[in-house]
Amino acid sequence: NRMKRAKARHKPCSLKELEVTISELGLGYNSDETVLFRYCSGTCESAVRNYDVSLKHVRSIRKIRKEKVRARPCCRPLSYDDDVSFLDTGNRYYTVNEVSAKECGCV
Amino acid sequence: MKGTDSAAASRSNPCLEAAKACNLNDNCKKLRSAYISTCNKEVSASEHCSQRRCRKALRHFFDQVPSAYSYRLLFCPCKDQACAERRRQTIVPDCSYQETEKPNCLTLRSQCRAEPLCRSRLADFHSNCQAFLTSCSRDNYQACLDSYTGLIGLDLTPNYVDASFSNPMISLWCSCQGSGNMEEECEKFLKDFTENACLRNAIQAFGNGTGLTFSPK
Repeated sequence: NRMKRAKARHKPCSLKELEVTISELGLGYNSDETVLFRYCSGTCESAVRNYDVSLKHVRSIRKIRKEKVRARPCCRPLSYDDDVSFLDTGNRYYTVNEVSAKECGCV
Repeated sequence: MKGTDSAAASRSNPCLEAAKACNLNDNCKKLRSAYISTCNKEVSASEHCSQRRCRKALRHFFDQVPSAYSYRLLFCPCKDQACAERRRQTIVPDCSYQETEKPNCLTLRSQCRAEPLCRSRLADFHSNCQAFLTSCSRDNYQACLDSYTGLIGLDLTPNYVDASFSNPMISLWCSCQGSGNMEEECEKFLKDFTENACLRNAIQAFGNGTGLTFSPK
């Protein structure tokens, strides 16, 4: 079981999906309509660049001290799904964009 | 707990389930969103939406999306008002259906007849949803629903008049006031929508899922 968990944690960055209601998105809309929420999840170990190695080293020798820097690639959406429209509990229509990921990558 | 609440809400509301089915299909979701955003877009202070563009987007939706999705949204069976209101809202009636004034139904019909697509779809509706013939049986139901749906987005866009779930009524946005000596003709035309037993039975049969197999268009 621990092996399974460890494996899951080390899955490379990819697109996953989940059925959620509009309300559960936390955007301030109240609607029971269900949408497919696609998100990016996974590790980016294989995408480490010389940039990341160097940045980490420059920071470790305290040449960078105050700034917030990130010396590891992030698993993030490269593009977003189409707009989604829904009817809320007050019977008003809304359309929201860039809610759900379409394509993921290590950036 | 919240998850089970919304699951229960969805089970008791077939129109909400229909929206879910559409949202989970990329093509349906995209085209539904396309017409909703078009129909909901304010164009100027005086004009709250472009009815022309809204109707065009609706036609595109009903032409492109398989009826397995679109008919579920349009003809979902309701047991309460929340469901029936959602059903009425399917075509964004504030923009696609209602107007500030109700024209005379015969004027609307002439308008439709002057336009080839509307003319042919109206003829289809009349032949496939004939209320007064006994020939409207289960075999005709799909053809009747097809031709009803074919009118959405044209000059004669029909819709549910209110959120009544026990006795849903369909009509056009027009009245027979000012028909002069054509009053009878006008009432007869309007009743093809408001008192059409064939259409009503077809919608009911679709909701029950009895004996109807809907192939993708």
